Amino acid sequence: MSQQEDPKPTPNTSGDGWRVLSYLIGGILIYGGIGFGLDRWLGTQFLLPVGIVLGAGLTILLLHFRYGQS
Amino acid sequence: MIAGVSTEFNPPGPEDFQLPPIIPGVDWFTKPVLVAGLSVVLIVWFFYGASRKSAIVPSKLQFAGELGYNFVRNSIARDAIGSQDYMKFVPYLCGLFFFILLNNVAATIPLVQFPTFSHIGWAYSAAILSWVIYNGVGIRKHGLLGYLKLQTMPAGVPLWLLPLMIPIEFISNIVVRPISLSLRLFANMFAGHILLLVFVLGGEYLLLHAGSIALSGVGVITLLMGLAIAGLELFVQCIQAYIFVVLSAQYIGGALADEH
Repeated sequence: MSQQEDPKPTPNTSGDGWRVLSYLIGGILIYGGIGFGLDRWLGTQFLLPVGIVLGAGLTILLLHFRYGQS
Repeated sequence: MIAGVSTEFNPPGPEDFQLPPIIPGVDWFTKPVLVAGLSVVLIVWFFYGASRKSAIVPSKLQFAGELGYNFVRNSIARDAIGSQDYMKFVPYLCGLFFFILLNNVAATIPLVQFPTFSHIGWAYSAAILSWVIYNGVGIRKHGLLGYLKLQTMPAGVPLWLLPLMIPIEFISNIVVRPISLSLRLFANMFAGHILLLVFVLGGEYLLLHAGSIALSGVGVITLLMGLAIAGLELFVQCIQAYIFVVLSAQYIGGALADEH
């Protein structure tokens, strides 16, 4: 094949949506998990939902910095 | 038809995926193992035949082989990893793509009709292989600490937010990636196969055993819908093979990148 090697090909972005999904799962998992652990430790009940919302919010912020500015 | 004759309809479930061994007594030799083995033989035969007599004016087989190879090489590997070091990973990605593609499409091929990756162990193995490779090449290029820094320090985030972001990056880049990679493939193959079973078995039951003309008519429509679902599944099978390999390539590219 005498195909021209493009030095800077356009990046393949077809997997970006799936990567965003794995960020969202990761963020909710880690902060929800921390909230769940603190609930078990301190005997409270409100830290799991707080952790889940915090994790989701932080992940969206992270995605904004990561993908939103290019 | 006599009303008492119609038997109870048994909806398909996960137990339909537990197939007996092909040779009695050899427990590990089941249908997925056979399909995966056949797919490997087929892929080796195809690419060996396509590359054996390389000619400037390619034969049909060589043309087909180059088409498939170039697709993985150019639109998956080079775009995701970058033109500097993508060539090293083309053999892996190409083999992975055609292995998953053939094993997925096996669900549509008559008489075979079983997606290997609907058994979750196969999906786990494929994902773990990709996980080991992208972490391995990343650690080899950057060193362990450099690699962890690359995978956990998101670029462009203000400094005061960084401590909160590092756990998210770590979990999603190191822990969630292999899980989502394997579950996506497994769940798509499992759900697609069970959906087909519902339509085909349900349609057959309505057509032959439900015991009324009207329900038999519904059965015909159900079977026709099943045919449409089979077409949709063929599309899903190809897409899932593609997305698995694209993500593997992007993870490798991300692990090799100098910075985000």
